[in-house]
Order: sequence, then structure tokens, then C-alpha cells
Amino acid sequence: MKYTLFYIVILISLPLNGQLSIEKDTFKIKEVIISGNKFNSEASGFKKKSIDSSILVDYNNRNLADMLSENTGIFIKSYGMGGTATPSFRGTGAGHTLVAWNGINIGSPMLGQTDFSLIQVGLIDDIQIYYGGASMIINDGGLGGAINLVTKPVWNKETLISLNTGIGSFGQYSGLMKVRAGNYNLQTVTKCYFQNSENNFRYLNKEEGPEPVWQTRTDNQLRIHGFIQELYFNNKKNITSAKIWYQNSDRNLPASMLTQPNTGEKQFDESLTAMLNYDASKGRSNYSFTSAWIMNKLNYVNRLASIDSRNYSQILTAKASLENSIGVNTKLKIVLDAQSSEVKSNNYDHNTTRNTATLAVSADRNVNRYGTSILFREILDKDHFLIPDFNAGAQFRLIDGKEYYFKASISRNSKIPSMNDMYWVPGGNPDLKNEYAFIYEISYEMKQNFSGPLKLIYNVSVFRYNIKDMIQWHPGVYSYWSADNIKKVNSKGVESSLSLDYTLNNLRTGVRADYSYTIAQAGGSNIENDVSSGKQLMYIPEHQANALLSFGYKIFYSSWMFNFTGKRYITVDNSKYLPGYILNNLNTGIKLSLKSTSIDINFEVRNFFNINYQSIAYYPLPGRSYMVKILFQLVK
Amino acid sequence: MKNLVKIVIVSLLIVSCNKSADYPISNYILRGGAFIVNEGNFRSGNGSLSFYSYDSLKIFNDLFVNANGRPLGDVPNSMAIKGNNAYIVVNNSGKIEIIDQSTLKSLATIQGLNSPRNISFISDNKAYVSSLYSDSVAIINLNTFSISGYINIRRTSESIAIAGNNAFIANWAQGKEIMVVNTTNDRLVDSIEVGNEPESMVFDRYGMLWVLCNGGWMRQYYAKLVEINPSVNKVVKTFTFPTKEESPTCLKIDGLGQTLYYLDDGVRQMDINSTSLPATTFIIQESGESFYKLGINPVNSDIFVTDAVDNTQRGYVLIFKNDGSFVTKQQAGIIPGSMFFKLTFETTND
Repeated sequence: MKYTLFYIVILISLPLNGQLSIEKDTFKIKEVIISGNKFNSEASGFKKKSIDSSILVDYNNRNLADMLSENTGIFIKSYGMGGTATPSFRGTGAGHTLVAWNGINIGSPMLGQTDFSLIQVGLIDDIQIYYGGASMIINDGGLGGAINLVTKPVWNKETLISLNTGIGSFGQYSGLMKVRAGNYNLQTVTKCYFQNSENNFRYLNKEEGPEPVWQTRTDNQLRIHGFIQELYFNNKKNITSAKIWYQNSDRNLPASMLTQPNTGEKQFDESLTAMLNYDASKGRSNYSFTSAWIMNKLNYVNRLASIDSRNYSQILTAKASLENSIGVNTKLKIVLDAQSSEVKSNNYDHNTTRNTATLAVSADRNVNRYGTSILFREILDKDHFLIPDFNAGAQFRLIDGKEYYFKASISRNSKIPSMNDMYWVPGGNPDLKNEYAFIYEISYEMKQNFSGPLKLIYNVSVFRYNIKDMIQWHPGVYSYWSADNIKKVNSKGVESSLSLDYTLNNLRTGVRADYSYTIAQAGGSNIENDVSSGKQLMYIPEHQANALLSFGYKIFYSSWMFNFTGKRYITVDNSKYLPGYILNNLNTGIKLSLKSTSIDINFEVRNFFNINYQSIAYYPLPGRSYMVKILFQLVK
Repeated sequence: MKNLVKIVIVSLLIVSCNKSADYPISNYILRGGAFIVNEGNFRSGNGSLSFYSYDSLKIFNDLFVNANGRPLGDVPNSMAIKGNNAYIVVNNSGKIEIIDQSTLKSLATIQGLNSPRNISFISDNKAYVSSLYSDSVAIINLNTFSISGYINIRRTSESIAIAGNNAFIANWAQGKEIMVVNTTNDRLVDSIEVGNEPESMVFDRYGMLWVLCNGGWMRQYYAKLVEINPSVNKVVKTFTFPTKEESPTCLKIDGLGQTLYYLDDGVRQMDINSTSLPATTFIIQESGESFYKLGINPVNSDIFVTDAVDNTQRGYVLIFKNDGSFVTKQQAGIIPGSMFFKLTFETTND
């Protein structure tokens, strides 16, 4: 029975993610697989990470941007509460992070990037982070990395109803209702949610005059509504699923402290993703077929400048994968992915479509303590083939039976230009080439259970990127800017994370810490005496660190979160910068359980020391704020 | 001597009040040079004020923030001086910063303007401010430093040129007219059709108004150089540029009012009596340079050209003698834009 359950778990996690799951369960699964003479397609040599489920619970009514910036080394460039937030992995640009839902790319084909302020953490069951070349497992384009948002069922015969509400400072209130029901063959999961916030926080404006003045942020409201409906059917040999995710959001975009107020800037986003998935296993083969239709609407209005930009895009995706074992230790995987994107925008000359197809072939081999993997990807963009991408990784288990790994990998990954880069009027350049990067990475990972209740996980990675033909909008001979493949970026750095857990009887304590050091420099250009060359890119902190200290005793729990973001240059010659800042969040609560119901009451103080700081120059961020959350759960 | 004492006192004050400015900038300003308004990047708030000093032959940067302890604002577009006061029009901050022209200390800030571009003085008490987005020109009371009213010209506006009792206001963005406003009663009285997107204007020595129409920001139309007789509001002469690809900007004239200059893939020079547009470039733009704005010293006709480089790093001001010979290249702020010559007392020509 136990074995069957594990087998089911493997089946689920494997096809849904497009590869075997990488979270902490991986290691448990792995052992089962080995004993079953199967192998683990975890792309040996590459760095992947899953966010701890307890962290996801803490952030369930917050957005992905907050969660990632406070719990990973990924830097989030945020225009503040209610404003857009985009990621930067290891010094790469916002468009270099691939964002997927269950392995299917959901990023807008127009912008080629995703606004993380609009994704609520509570909707997601597992957040998987693929660093560097590891993102190629998901798809192309994630030069910096990939973030895979996983939603999944739990195969058991119970009904779960959870209600999650939060109310906090600056007119924030949110609600998330989740219903999960079914049995071992059929599961349905429904999530409905809303989020409203006025974001009318007070901030100290030091830019208005020689004396700082307190002001209140205005025109900064955000409203989000949405739902996810999922249906899963398990026929022992195969699993079929259908998923729909709808969301709309409406917001006033806050202005910089220096720009004239009341510009009437608004943005309305709407997205609908429908996905069908079929996974089957036969003998030594696993098959997976997924098709998805992704609609994105983005309307931007600037009353002052009389801009009314209307943008609609749809993507039709079909993805098929076949995974086959060859012998005992080797596995081969072939993934075919075809995408057709269509954009209707009043900023394009005409409706524009783009068709791409990619074929990825990968092999993994694990023999004794050695693991190797290799992947080739060929992209067909419209009617021409791009130079193929590849990655190769190797890992070595230092001591038999111990979870100490030494990993190394090399990748060449490319990103086809976003459709705005190519077709935006004016300045879009249809002749753009794809951007590409060579990525080198070495890491050491260890997991150790010390005598009894003490558990340690440690990871350190060193990486190097050479990004070529990077697209940059620049002023040209015309009076408007245009896009060209002119930029080169070299980045290198170190990432390190540590987690230590101690659990004994009713006492639970843990420490988790991340540190990242990133040097991302502009390469040379055609400008004589280019002062930006060799300088740190704007808005990429060299140092970033997080720490979380958690403590629980019986029904009580509390945690202290510390986040340090180093100085970020705001000029290309590094002559001016925003100072670094330290944020502290405190979180405490009680969790009461009675038979089949549980209630979790939580109180959170963010920015405890009321620090006045900016993530982007002249965009204020809130001082101390409070939030009360209540999570009610019924399991029958 | 009395002046010298004043200068010393002023400079001492500056030195003592402002730790970041350890040079007596007011000295340099009093001895003449040119202010450079560095636009900075849209929404980045990195615009700044620089001064090229003839006395030291160098540029002093970040003058506003050094004197006032706060940034100038988002996209400062232009500057003009009236009496002792300098007016800096900060476009995307919707404001005008009024500073003392030598100490650069803030005197007042006029806020609430709708995307202001340029200021033009009608009298000692009154000024007009053009607007990129609104169909009204703002009237400024120079005594109270406040907006005293608006003139609805039914078009957006850019440069303003004053002759007699008329203000000639160019309807640049997607426009093709010069709107004529009577400055005594602030009423729209006439309009003159010129070419597409009239961008800059100057008066020549005979009082004729020259208008450079750049042909549309996406180069949809042919650019034109138009001469207007401002006493009858009629077009006298029109020069049409040979190709749509040519998009000239920044029309200027020398102190004598005899020679026109503009930017069109380098600096072009044209006599007002010429019967055709100049076929050759007077000052060539080298590779890697991105000429952005032009200024002509009204006294000695030195040619100042700003080079915005790649619009993200700090740009340069290139200075040439009137015969086109290169003098110096100095680093200014990000996107150095329009310039205002502040020459010595005897030779000031505002």
C-alpha cells in the first residue's frame, strides 16, 4: 500500500512538473525509485529549489514578489505597494525569468515578462525555482532562471474547506476560499479569491524640500479578483486533468515623488488560462500531453498624456513529452512544444502572430555516486531554426549514503525577443535576433540529519553568465527609441543558503538564511569611452541577505524575518545609488485544532522598525504596517 | 570694489552653507557662461542643472541639488532668466523652480502646471508657459510666483516667441500651426499654418520669425523651414527638406540675427538670405555621438552642442568657435538639453 501511494505521488509530480519534482520530498521519492529500478530525472548537476510549505502558508495572502524577495536571493524590482514588481535572477533582466504554471509558460508574449505583484502565493501549492540552465527543463527563454507555479491535488478520500481572510493597514483586506473534494480517482479543487488595498500609506518625503515632510500616498488602489478550478481524474494508469485560472486586476499606478500628481494612470489586467493535461505510464515509458490556451489583456490609461493603450494577446500551446528508460541507469526524454501567439494592440501596426516550436532531447544517467545529464534544444522561430541550445551537468555524491553533493553545469540558453521588442510602434525592430547566454555554475549541497531532532540543509553556488546580443531600447537617429541587440552583460556571483531545524516533542525551532552576492556588469559597446562599461548594472544589489528565525511551542508559533538589500546604483556610471536597507517582520499566532477543524489566528508586523526606504528611486514604500489573518480549515 | 566685497560675501555664504559645493559657483556664474538643463530620464528624477563657465573653461554639475539639498525634479526642460531670477521649467514634475540666478538658492516653486515646457516673459510681471498635453497656455504672475490664469489656444504648445503685443506659440506635438495670442488681453487672435510639428523659432535681425517644422516625430511628413512676417502673420518663404528622413531640430540664430543654425545629422549653418537649405554639414556628428540640443552664444557666436551619448550615461557639451573649430568637450548631466547663456553684465542678451 505504501509503495502504491508513493508510486501515485511519483506519477503526479512527474508529469505535472514536466520532470520529476525537486522539493524536499525528492529525496524520499528518489530512494523508492532506486529500489524500484527506476531513475530520477532531476537534471543532475543543476540547481533547483522548492519553497518550504510553511513559508507559503505565512505568505498565502501576499504576492509572489514579497515572498521571493524575503525568502530567496532573487532580487525584486518593485514600484511599491500596488505597483508592478519584476524579478531579477543573478543580475539578469525582468524578461529573463521564465514563469510557468504547471510547466506551461504563462508570461505575456508582448512584454516577455510577468508582474509578480499580481500573483497571490495562497493559490499555489508548490513554488519551484530553477536557477540558470536548470530553467531549460521547463522551456527556453529563462536565461536567469524559471519559476514554476505548481497546483496539485491530494489523492485521498476527504473534503477540505479552508477560508483565509486578512485585514491590515492601508486598507488591505483579502479573502481566499479553497475547496478540495474527491476520492482516489477523482479530485476537484476550487479556489476563489479577492484582494483589495488602498495603499494609502504615510511616507517621509525628503525630495520635496530641504526639510522632510510627511505625505500620504494617493491614487494607489489595487483590486484583484479571480478563481482557479481544477479537475483531476486518475485511472491508475493515467491521470487526466483540466484547469482554469481566471484573474482580473484593476489598479491606479502610483507616480514617483517627483512627478506631477493626478496623471490618471491606470492599468487593467485580465488573464484566463485553460489547460488540459494527460499523463500516462506504460512499462518503462511515461507520456505527457498538455495543451493550454492563455489569454492576456492589458489596458493602460494615462489621462494626462491622452494615452489609451489596449493590448490583447492569446497563446495556444501544445506540449508533448515522452520519457523512456534505457537500461537501469539511463533515461531519455523528448519534449516537443509548439506555441502560436497572437497579439492585437493599438500600439502595433496590425494584428501580429508568431509561431514557434521547440524540440528538446535530454538524457540523464545515474551510476553509483555519479549523475550526469545533457539536454539539446532546437527552436524553430517562424520559418528559421535558431542556433541550438544545450546544457550539460554532472554531480557527484561525496560519500555513499550521505546527502553531500558536488554539482557542476554549463549551459547555452537563448530567448527569442518579446513581441513588443519586435512590433511595438514606434521603435519595435522585427529584425531582432534572439538573446543568448552562456552559463557556468558550480555548487555544493548537503543535507544532514544529526542525531535525532536536528536537521541541516546547506547550499552554496558560484555562477557566471555571459549574456550576448541582449536587447536594449536606445535612442537612435529617430526621435523615438528603438530596440536592438546591442547590450552585453557579464554577471557572476555566489549564492548560499542554510536551513537548520530542531524539533523535539512540542518544541519546533528553525533558522533559515540566504545570502547572495551578484556582480552584473555591462559589457563593452560601440560608444567611445563608454563610462557604463564594466560598471554594475543599475538596480542590481551586490549584496542581499535574508534570515528567518522561527519558533513554535504547542499551539503557539512566531517568527522573525530579516531582510537586507544592499545599495543599488541608479546611474549607469555608478555615481549615484540608493542606500541599502534592513527590514524586519514579526509574525506570531496560535493554531487551534479540534477534531476535523482547525483555526489559525495570526498577527503580523511588517517593517517593524519603521524604516524609510526605496526600492526604485523616488517611489516611496510603506513604514510599519500590521495585518491580522484568520485561517479556518475543515477536513472531513 | 563694492561688487567684489559682495561677491566675496556671497561666496563665503555659499561655502559656509553648503558643504557639497566647495567652490564659489556664484563667482563663476557672475563672470559668464551657459546654464545647461540636463533632462535626465523620464520618471527617473535624475535631471540636473549644470553651468559652463567661461572663466574656468569647465562645467560645474549638480548645481540645483548642491544649492538646495533636493533634486531638481523629473525632466527639467528649459530655463530662462528675468532680472535676478532664473526659472527652470520641470516638465514631468509639472512645476517651475525659481532660483536666484547666482546663488542658485530656491526662491519659490510654482506647482500644478500641466506638463510645462517653456517659459517666455511678456513683461516684468507676466510670463507664458507652454504645455505638451493641455490645450492651454498658463499665465504666470511673476510677482506672486503663481498661476494667474490660462489662455485656451485649443492646441498643445511648445516654443513661444514674443514680438510687439503678440506671442507666437508653436503647436508642436502633432500640430502644424503657430497660434497668435495678444499679450495685452491674453486672447487668441490668429493662427498661421506652417509645416508639420513646428518645433523651434527665432527672430532674425529684421524681426522676421523663422520656424523649423521637423515633419513629425515618426517622420511622416517633409520637414520645413518657414519664414513668417510677424506683423501680418503671413508666411513669406518656405524651404522644404529634400527627404522625409531629414528631421531637423533646434533652430537657433547668432547674436547678429544673421546666421541660422539647426541640428540635422550634425550642425547646419544657413544665412538668412540664402535661397536654399545648406547641403553640407557645418559640424559633423562623430560615431557614438548623439547631438541633442544646440545653443549659440549671442555675443561671440560660439556654438554649443549637447551630446546625449546613449541617453543613460552622463552626456557632454561640445563647444566650437564660430568658424566650426573645436574648443572643448565637457561632461554634463544625463541628457544635457537646452542651454541658457548667462553672459557678463555688459554683454547679457537675454
